[in-house]
Amino acid sequence: MLYLPGNNPNMLTRGYLFGSDGIILDLEDAVPMREKDAARILVSKYLDLGEFGSCEVTVRINGVDTEYWKEDLAAVLPYKSLSGIRAPKVDTPETVKILDEEMSAIEEKNNIPVGHTQIFCLLETANGIWNAYDIAAASKRVTAIIPGGEDLTADLKTSRSYEGTELEWSRRMIVIAARAAGVDPLDTVFPRITDDEGLRRETEFIKQLGFAGKSIIHPNQIPVINAVFTPTEQEIEKALKIMRAAKESAARGQGAVSVDGRMVDAPVVKRAEYVLQRAGITEVD
Amino acid sequence: MSRTAQAGTLESMDCLVTVTEANAGSGISLGITGSSAARFKTAMEKKVHEVLAAMGVKDIDIAIQDNGALDIVLGARVETAVKRLEREE
Amino acid sequence: MALNAAGRDIPDFIEGYGKTKLFQGAFAVKPDGRKAGAKLRCAESGCTDKRVADIKAAIIASGLKSGMTVSFHHHLRNGDYVVNMVIDACAELGIRDLTLFPTALFSVHNKLVEHIKSGVISRIMGSVNGPIGRLISEGGMGVPVVLRSHGGRPRAVMAGDVHIDVAFIAAPTADKYGNICGSQGKSACGSLGYAFTDAQYADCVVAVTDNLVPYPASPISIPQMYADFVVEVPSIGDPAGIVSGTTRVTRDPLRLLISRYASQLIEASPYFQDGISFQTGAGGIPLAVTAFMKDAMIKRGIKGSFGLGGISGYFVDLLKDGLVEKIMDVQSFDPEAVRSIGVNPNHIEISADWYANPWNSGAAVNMLDVVILGATEVDTDFNANVNTEADGALLHGTGGHQDTAAGAKLTIIAQPLLRGRIPCVTDNVCTITTPGEVIDAVVTEYGITINPKRKDLLDACSQVKNLPVVSMEELAARAKAMSGPTDPVENTDRIVGVVEWRDGTVIDVIRQLA
Repeated sequence: MLYLPGNNPNMLTRGYLFGSDGIILDLEDAVPMREKDAARILVSKYLDLGEFGSCEVTVRINGVDTEYWKEDLAAVLPYKSLSGIRAPKVDTPETVKILDEEMSAIEEKNNIPVGHTQIFCLLETANGIWNAYDIAAASKRVTAIIPGGEDLTADLKTSRSYEGTELEWSRRMIVIAARAAGVDPLDTVFPRITDDEGLRRETEFIKQLGFAGKSIIHPNQIPVINAVFTPTEQEIEKALKIMRAAKESAARGQGAVSVDGRMVDAPVVKRAEYVLQRAGITEVD
Repeated sequence: MSRTAQAGTLESMDCLVTVTEANAGSGISLGITGSSAARFKTAMEKKVHEVLAAMGVKDIDIAIQDNGALDIVLGARVETAVKRLEREE
Repeated sequence: MALNAAGRDIPDFIEGYGKTKLFQGAFAVKPDGRKAGAKLRCAESGCTDKRVADIKAAIIASGLKSGMTVSFHHHLRNGDYVVNMVIDACAELGIRDLTLFPTALFSVHNKLVEHIKSGVISRIMGSVNGPIGRLISEGGMGVPVVLRSHGGRPRAVMAGDVHIDVAFIAAPTADKYGNICGSQGKSACGSLGYAFTDAQYADCVVAVTDNLVPYPASPISIPQMYADFVVEVPSIGDPAGIVSGTTRVTRDPLRLLISRYASQLIEASPYFQDGISFQTGAGGIPLAVTAFMKDAMIKRGIKGSFGLGGISGYFVDLLKDGLVEKIMDVQSFDPEAVRSIGVNPNHIEISADWYANPWNSGAAVNMLDVVILGATEVDTDFNANVNTEADGALLHGTGGHQDTAAGAKLTIIAQPLLRGRIPCVTDNVCTITTPGEVIDAVVTEYGITINPKRKDLLDACSQVKNLPVVSMEELAARAKAMSGPTDPVENTDRIVGVVEWRDGTVIDVIRQLA
């Protein structure tokens, strides 16, 4: 998911063309205080226009500890093109409930099915990480939890390093909490825009940890993320084989699945399902 | 001193809108300069008048310095500037 | 007035230009007759030294008079001193009404505006941009400027359409008998491709050098039997402006996106195989496309047969890495290219005639597989405009656009769809430089738009995953929807520019801005 500064017409017009799965229209860190109103109006116009190709569209609102969040929600929720909001600094499940309530009221007023708009929670403090499971389970709207980078590092009273040691345990915690609660773990941004090699290494690491995706701050990072996350032709072939075999044996009423003469466990089938999901393949013939 | 407010920037595909309050009955005074002014003056004037009408603004001085803003951006910046002006009390 | 084959209304006669030949199609007009020639002349018997004291002495010795035509090459680019030195000297000598016949002009030549206003220069044939272009667009010259392509210029000289009285050739290295070399010297510029025609067809040739070497110089680009006089000056140009340093591939995401689509189109085309040849681009999108192509070539184990055009260090590296067998260099952009052309036999210096002239027995562009070009606008018939801005103001010379588009098997125009609010795709371009019949595809950030007459490319692209193919109707509609209706360009009837096609016919005219 590509962050687009909410007060930047150029990026709002073109951001969806670069091939990311989703775009995040940012009303928070990318917008200085005196421009919050301008960004809100601009973003709502683009949501109204609704031209985002096949990208999933979310808006990062300002935190509930600010004076802006209610107006942010009121300005963006009414539009069909919006899939969800990204909430910064979610520390406790209470924050989720506060957002949930306000969002329901706005959806109701605007003829949008209540509960339709999702919440992506940014966990940017030690508390947030500690409460990860409860936050993820706090509302049906929560669809993903994401570790913070800078803010989290500061709250842990350490500094950002090249290897990312300070974020390692937070990341592992989020993957476990997310999967236990049935939501997606998404990883935080990689700030060094010209360091493609560093980005690739970090992305491979977090993919192996179990993250479902990663946020990015520059379109040039997209090819690197896609290269790591997009299954290869071989992986897809293998997964299709497994899924076909699973379908066959289910049709025959058999419990065991066999591929190329070897028995295949349920977890293997589940992983194959996931690979096809990431490859965007829904039909297995 | 008339109250005045601004919105937007001179970045690529944006415009800087400056609005100044005008006496009742003086009407809308609109000036457009910049990269799109030569080829898009008619369309831009139409958009500005549309937005002002929708906001119920009848008297205002408005100056636009353009750097390639599409109608969607122009409209957003005019709306923001007018709202800022109205908030200035 | 009559409509030419590109659909433009062209008068039979243009004041300050003469009778017009109407454009009849990109390949319609064939040459007839014999080549024009320079004045027969011989060297002073017993003279073994062609040097004269200074520029003024050279001008006087050349017999240059008011009303004559002087020519220059542009290989010193924005570091050139020679054009200004010569014209300043002409002004001081009281010479007026000159026809200036450069192969291109740069911003370093902007001060010529004063000489235009004062009447030292009364006509220009060649590219004009910046303040000179604006002056002409606003009617500041008495006669129209004539815009010709890199290939059309030598054709015009050889066919006798243009007669050069005196050619001033900036020579990075020369000897006292007039051998000229481009790759050596403190002001080295590499290839002297654009100077050959002038040397061969001018009635008088003056070599201007800041690096005189013992006779005979070597290597030699332009041999001694052409030069009549040699002038030594302290400096012919500023190296910082001549060679612009190593070219780096852009990191601008929009340009990278467009370049990626263009590269995918090339890879899907029937031309992406061993022996592929391509036009070498400078900077921005063309260079980024080459970078993507390079990765694809390595992956598929493909080698290029030759790279053609303006050469930078990036292409020298391709040559060194064995990704392309030869480079044919008509102009060198940076120190790496200058160094390479001097030492590598596979890095070949070629003239503009060799590069792009349509009226010889086969120019290099005819052997090209792929070219990536830009344009200020393209229309729904795939006609391209590189000469004027969307507001009608003169912007650019034609360069090699017409020649490479006509010669290459796959011609791609790669541009962002909008420049600010101004759309690059319109219903009718302001000025036609290159006709749609030689343009195969337009690539924007919205995808690939293929000329309907290229069904083979349409088929090939539809097979490729994640390659958006957009029809021209959709693309034009999108441009219109985004930018909104445009106010028409206001111009008068007076013609201030004549755009020639490579064969000397008139493809379009440029009128004075209101």
